[in-house]
Amino acid sequence: MGINNFAKKVFLLEILKGMALTFRMMFAKPVTRQYPEEKREMFPGFRGLHALARKEDGTARCVGCGLCAAVCPSRCISVYTSEGDDHTKIVDRYEIEVLRCVYCGFCVEACPFKAVALTGHYEYSDYSRAVLFMDKDKLLANWDKYMAGKKGEEYFKRFWRPMSEDFKAHEDQAVFMGNRGKIEGAAPDKTTHSPEGLSNAA
Amino acid sequence: MNAVDMAGSSGNFHFIMQFIIILVKIVVLISVTLLHVMYATYFERKVIGHMQVRLGPMRTGPHGILQPIADGLKSFFKEDIIPAQADKPVFMLAPIIFTFAAMSALAVIPFSFGDWYVIANINVGLLYVLAMSSLGAYGVVMAGWSSNSKYSFLGGLRASAQVISYEVCMGMSLIGVILMAGSMNLTDIVKAQQQHWYGMFLIPQFLGYFVFVVAAFAETNRTPFDLPEAESELVAGYFVEYSGMRFALYYMSEYIGMLIMSSMAAICFMGGWTLPPFITGAVPILSAVPGIIWFLGKVYFHIFLFYWIRATVPRYRYDQLMALGWKVLLPLALLNIVVTSIVKFFVG
Repeated sequence: MGINNFAKKVFLLEILKGMALTFRMMFAKPVTRQYPEEKREMFPGFRGLHALARKEDGTARCVGCGLCAAVCPSRCISVYTSEGDDHTKIVDRYEIEVLRCVYCGFCVEACPFKAVALTGHYEYSDYSRAVLFMDKDKLLANWDKYMAGKKGEEYFKRFWRPMSEDFKAHEDQAVFMGNRGKIEGAAPDKTTHSPEGLSNAA
Repeated sequence: MNAVDMAGSSGNFHFIMQFIIILVKIVVLISVTLLHVMYATYFERKVIGHMQVRLGPMRTGPHGILQPIADGLKSFFKEDIIPAQADKPVFMLAPIIFTFAAMSALAVIPFSFGDWYVIANINVGLLYVLAMSSLGAYGVVMAGWSSNSKYSFLGGLRASAQVISYEVCMGMSLIGVILMAGSMNLTDIVKAQQQHWYGMFLIPQFLGYFVFVVAAFAETNRTPFDLPEAESELVAGYFVEYSGMRFALYYMSEYIGMLIMSSMAAICFMGGWTLPPFITGAVPILSAVPGIIWFLGKVYFHIFLFYWIRATVPRYRYDQLMALGWKVLLPLALLNIVVTSIVKFFVG
């Protein structure tokens, strides 16, 4: 042990350094957020309370295909439909049991019509389960409250691009356009094995 | 009515008056101490909170100033649970012994100059404080044993081993002070410090002060020597099984212990209620300030030191604790005694 180390040990240098640090930190600004008074703004795309999107005419966008209910891992969505007069599908009931939801966002991803959304609202705890069982009207009201106007459109555009925007229809099946539609014969395709390509490489 | 009767009745009257005065003093002292304890818990949470870049209690009253009152009310109205397998009489006696030991030590501590500021100005004051602080260990051991729980038991074991080891160092560190003051009366120790130009035994007895402070941390089971009540391993140590008011008694007595250790440090090493003569000589107006303010300032400084260390230093391992106590602090204290004795013998 060198004289330096010995001196360090005798005068408890490390502990004194630590004490200086804690003393300085005592006058630092605390990082605590005083929650109910001081709220943090949610990031866009936050997955909070559910909502059902409205069309321009004010009716729900949902057509009742049931994809959201099918994909839901916690099975908290139930959709009930019936046949209308001119063989159209009518959504009788659309219900989400919010307490069972795990907020994975699969329903939003699965929806081909941008009909279901997760809003940025998260302060909806309550004393009864009934309040947190959302039927169609409540979900539509949530849309008006938290997602109305430009916000809702932005939400789908930025975070939940429907699949139809990235795929184009081929004669017999859908083809991936690679987000920027680059496929149109520009880049050489690795999967085609043409004899010229092979000879060129050699 | 003859003269003897007259003398007897006036003697009785005098005795009763003394008795009442002492009772009043005790009531005042205990209420002031309990107020200090309440706000010591509050400031501990605040100070450590801010050192950890948090806020500490903020909700009860402005800046959480009513928090200790809320805590007190809560523990007062909480259900008192005694474990079915506990040794009931011992279980109930343990917190009382602990509190009794902590509070009795307050009796000899002089807060300012004169008999008015001390309940019992006895010549073995220092020894009495040490005795009472080791009596507290009985409360700990009994709690650990009677709870019939492994955490309490381990906590009690650790506490007894630790308190016994560090009691030795603490006593040894104070011998230097006793040698220099030539008395064990706490008031006389303060007066003896005024005889020197430096006015504080802290300066010649810096080794003793260091050993005393470290031993005081261990005696009061504070971080970094909080093994008996290590929250992360023993839940709360020897008083895990206590709840409600009994728990509050333990909690309170630990803070009283801290106050007593801080007072001892202030009295024995920092000149109690006095300022060093070279300071009062330079700024004469300071001697007009009541002594109790200096005394409290010194006590608060040590209490703050307790918090500060708690926010800084992590817990020692058990073997490190024992090694530090027996292999570092005890030799240091002995060295201090030897040097002090030699200097005292030759210098006078």
